[in-house]
Amino acid sequence: MSIDVEEKFVTPPPAPVPALEVRGLVKHYPGVKALDGVDLVVRPHEVLGLAGENGAGKSTLLKALVGLVKPDAGEIYVRGERVRLRSVVNAAEHGIGMVFQEQSLVPNLTAAENIVLGSEGAGVRGGIYRWDRMRRLAQEQLDKIGSHIDPLARTDSLSFADRQMVEIAKVLRIEQRSQHPPVIILDEPTSVLEAKEIETLFAQVRRLREFASVIFVSHRLDEVLDVCDRVTVLRSGRSVGEVPTAGAAPAELHRMMIGSTGSDDHYHDNVATRAETPARPRLVVRGLSGRTFRDVDLDVHAGEIVGIVGVHGSGREDVCRALFGAEPTTAGEVTLDGAVLQLSGTRAACAAGIGYVPAERKIEGMVGPMSVAENMTLTRQRARCSGPLVSPRKQASLVDSWISRLSIRTPHRGTPIQRLSGGNQQKVVLARWLVSGDVRLLLLDHPTRGLDIGARSEVYRLMRELANSGVATVLLADSLEEAIGMSDRIVVMSDGRVTAEVGCPSGAKPTPLDLVKEMV
Amino acid sequence: MTVTVEQAAESVVQPKAAGLSQRLTAWMPVIALVAILAALTVADPGFFTQRSLTAAAMTAAPLIVLAAGATLVVLCGGIDLSIAAMASLSTVFLALWLPDLGGLATPAVIAAAAALGAVQGVAHVVLRIPSFIVTLGGMSIFSAVALVVSDAGTVPVTDDSTISWLNLYVARYIPMSVAVALLVVTAIALVVRLTPLHSWVTATGYSESAARLAGAPVDLVKIGAFCVSGACAGLAAVMLVSRNFSGNPSMADNLLLPAVAAIVVGGTAITGGHGGLWRSVAGALVVTLLRVGLPIVGVPSAYEQILYGAIIVAAVALTLDRSKVMVIK
Amino acid sequence: MLTSPAEDTEATVVVPARPRPRRGVSFRDAGPPVALIVIFAIFAALSPQFRSVANVQNILDAAAVLAVVACGITFVLMMGSIDLSSAGVMGASALAVALLVENNRNGNDLGLLGIALAILLAAGLGALSGLALVMLKVPSFMATLGVSAVGLGLATLMFDGVQPNISDAMLEGWATGRFLGFSGLAWIALGCVLLGWLIQRYTRLGRYAYAIGGAEEVLALSGVKVAPFKVAVFTLAGAFYGLGGVMVTSQLGAGLVQAGKGYDFAAITAAVVGGTLLTGGRGGVLHSAVGVLLITVLTNGLVQIGVSPYWQGGVQGLIVVAAVAAAVIPQRRRNQVVK
Repeated sequence: MSIDVEEKFVTPPPAPVPALEVRGLVKHYPGVKALDGVDLVVRPHEVLGLAGENGAGKSTLLKALVGLVKPDAGEIYVRGERVRLRSVVNAAEHGIGMVFQEQSLVPNLTAAENIVLGSEGAGVRGGIYRWDRMRRLAQEQLDKIGSHIDPLARTDSLSFADRQMVEIAKVLRIEQRSQHPPVIILDEPTSVLEAKEIETLFAQVRRLREFASVIFVSHRLDEVLDVCDRVTVLRSGRSVGEVPTAGAAPAELHRMMIGSTGSDDHYHDNVATRAETPARPRLVVRGLSGRTFRDVDLDVHAGEIVGIVGVHGSGREDVCRALFGAEPTTAGEVTLDGAVLQLSGTRAACAAGIGYVPAERKIEGMVGPMSVAENMTLTRQRARCSGPLVSPRKQASLVDSWISRLSIRTPHRGTPIQRLSGGNQQKVVLARWLVSGDVRLLLLDHPTRGLDIGARSEVYRLMRELANSGVATVLLADSLEEAIGMSDRIVVMSDGRVTAEVGCPSGAKPTPLDLVKEMV
Repeated sequence: MTVTVEQAAESVVQPKAAGLSQRLTAWMPVIALVAILAALTVADPGFFTQRSLTAAAMTAAPLIVLAAGATLVVLCGGIDLSIAAMASLSTVFLALWLPDLGGLATPAVIAAAAALGAVQGVAHVVLRIPSFIVTLGGMSIFSAVALVVSDAGTVPVTDDSTISWLNLYVARYIPMSVAVALLVVTAIALVVRLTPLHSWVTATGYSESAARLAGAPVDLVKIGAFCVSGACAGLAAVMLVSRNFSGNPSMADNLLLPAVAAIVVGGTAITGGHGGLWRSVAGALVVTLLRVGLPIVGVPSAYEQILYGAIIVAAVALTLDRSKVMVIK
Repeated sequence: MLTSPAEDTEATVVVPARPRPRRGVSFRDAGPPVALIVIFAIFAALSPQFRSVANVQNILDAAAVLAVVACGITFVLMMGSIDLSSAGVMGASALAVALLVENNRNGNDLGLLGIALAILLAAGLGALSGLALVMLKVPSFMATLGVSAVGLGLATLMFDGVQPNISDAMLEGWATGRFLGFSGLAWIALGCVLLGWLIQRYTRLGRYAYAIGGAEEVLALSGVKVAPFKVAVFTLAGAFYGLGGVMVTSQLGAGLVQAGKGYDFAAITAAVVGGTLLTGGRGGVLHSAVGVLLITVLTNGLVQIGVSPYWQGGVQGLIVVAAVAAAVIPQRRRNQVVK
């Protein structure tokens, strides 16, 4: 039998096992579903971008991938093998490492020590440091990314960009532990870099592709499209799609990030009850600059709710705090009802009739062990005092009246506020600014964060009533839908500057898509 | 302004049973006081007599005042380590000023001590120096001044007519100094309790950042607390001088540890916010009974120091608010 | 309707102020040695007695014990903790060694072993502080305050009303003997500083103590168990204090309960003045050694030019407050919580 031509059956090469795969990851926090079934695939030797707006679940997903947070349900597979990540060190053993947003280096150690921290190996024998070996171990990692940093330089003597290199080298060391190409997560690495440094970073990331897989998270979509091979988009704790970046347009990504425009009818927008907006604005901000924001102009009229939207790094939270005197400013002028404000401190702001509800309710908003009554009466004393003395009778009737007006569910006015549910706690914090009856400007920083639907709805109604009674409000909302639903005007900030202003009258509301363009 | 909100159905209160340790620490000083009194009476049945109890109370008076004043600083979240040195310095001042100022010497000394306390408070608030460093520095500065001014020696008091009333008795059994101490503590406690100060102090101690963002005058409250602590040190000095007929640059130095022990045994948390002046009074009584009682029970007084040390560590460990301090240094 | 701001500004990204990289020798590193030279020069000019060889020897002898104590406290400060226990621990070890070597109270004659045991006792007290910190979560200033009291109590117990005078030739010789013009104590101090520097630079204990002060959370994230290192540092510090107590007994020829009086605060002052930050993460043994010399020169010089020695403590108090204020002021932020 002569074999001349045989048909060779060429079986297609099997699909490469993903470096990292996530299936149906779920994580709940009280009142909020951070992850609601996330799927993700990271192929070997690729740079995967991760995009999504605030609250989409990006940071929770990253924390779960690196072992900082235990998911409630779902699976994580590393190179096809199911793993349970118990800690950062455990994740490193499986080959997953993250370059954190806030630098996680020990500033007063050398770069080499930081790179090998916790796994010094041959660098330390019997508790004694062998500096030559430390240098060599560190140099191995630095060579991978082509960095020329002196390994024995003190970390806080390095530039910010160099420190990021050290962090990357530190994460690369994972390879020693897991013997496999690592998965490296870069979380907003460009936030604090200047243009030239960003280019260098991108070059490094492309190099990394040769021997690792990278997950690249950034709120700047142009960067994501530039350096990544594919992009996965998250929305409301779910993956809504992945696209190859070649030939993708930002608009497509915006659409995926936002989804269908949400209905806003639970924002209690009742045109009929709205009073006429006065001509002159109550709050006038011109050229306000601070550490994280520059040249911010803002006008807020009495009875108006102005929402400021922006993603990570927009600076909007600091603008709010600066208006309350809790954040120093380097330039700018602020006038309230015609009078120039000094903003030297929070007391001055309170005296001027400005109220502030912080985002971190548990740490900055309320004093946990103190009672509902005490929390409510912390700011304004005249309402509960006769002369210099606190009148228990006055305080009791004052507090009780507000408890009933705001429907605060508490067993008693003397209950420690930390025993109340989040929604009721927030109402107490809000009431603090209302007891005196003379608040003129309210600054609300994520007022519905961590509240369930019912509580949110109550807070929205309260905000509407306050606006209708003449209070000027600045709102930093939890989501674009909330901002659009509640605000009369929206100011968009990005990377420290105001980039757009949008009118938001009921009946002619902008869509989240319109806004996202300016935010990223 | 009419604002109403409709009720929403939601679970309202997250009940949290007060832990056993919490309840224990709330009653700690009283339990300790009763236990010690019982133990001492068992060891020496002659102890529970009016005479020895009165003597013990008289010893306790300066400590009560000292501890109460410093408690205010601790409630705000700080600590005042200079109280003993301040009291010693004040004894020197009093002994030196009595001949010239007569009856005015007492208020003058108290005012001077209050002023020094306020200076420490200002340094803490304005320079952002941790309170224990400011008062540690203050401690050595006050000691040095006392040494120089008194020339490192005892300053005798020849005419004690203006302060000897402290050695009298009220209603024949209660030493005047004790009555004054309790009166002063009551006065301070009332002023704090009945005015907004209570809210401000507690908020500052529990969560200074939240207090500031709520508009509480945190800086003024802290300075005021240091001022009161100083004034109390001055008053304690007056009591000491009336008993010893002299002033001495190290007269009150050995009261620092007992005062700190009194505050923590009383159940005031070193983290701030939780506690009270009356607790420190109970703590001061416990500490004094310990000191007075050790020889009665047959324990050499050398163990006093060891006891203070162990008590301080144990009491702080029990009353510390763990949730507050993430990284303890 | 979407409106963009009217001016077409070159909307550059606002980069928040970043921590500036520290390059070169900082003021904190160079300042104290320069200050030392300057102050020495000033006093040398003001008082001929000051610049005599005998006086310089005096200075070094006086600095010896403080240097050893400062060595120990430096490690604690580098971690970001504080140690107020040195006075009590020194008292305990001073009495212990006085009763273990040849003395007039009992028949012991343990010599070097006695010294070692006294240092071991002190190390144990230090370990107590560390354990109270990591296990009971008592803040270090409270824990060490308590341990100081315990140490003083132990010393009082050992003293038992009768002062033990030592007659051990070697121990006495530390203070009286001279080698190359410097007393044995000065040489011991030099050795301690050297040992401390080696530990700081070349051992894991030293480097991790430094790291704990710089960023403790990062260490924990990297899987390092921080607690045992904290206890070890306090134990090491206790050992140094113990040696200091033994040196005081050598100086005085007897064991005194108040052997460590004043050293606790002086050591903190010396460390802070030398450039070791109270918040941890900066400074070191060499810095503290310079600080010790600075303080001793200052004290000695002031006495030489006629200032009352009583002012010593006060001057130190002022210096510490000023030094801490100077260190803290550049890092001030509004709403920063200072306890």
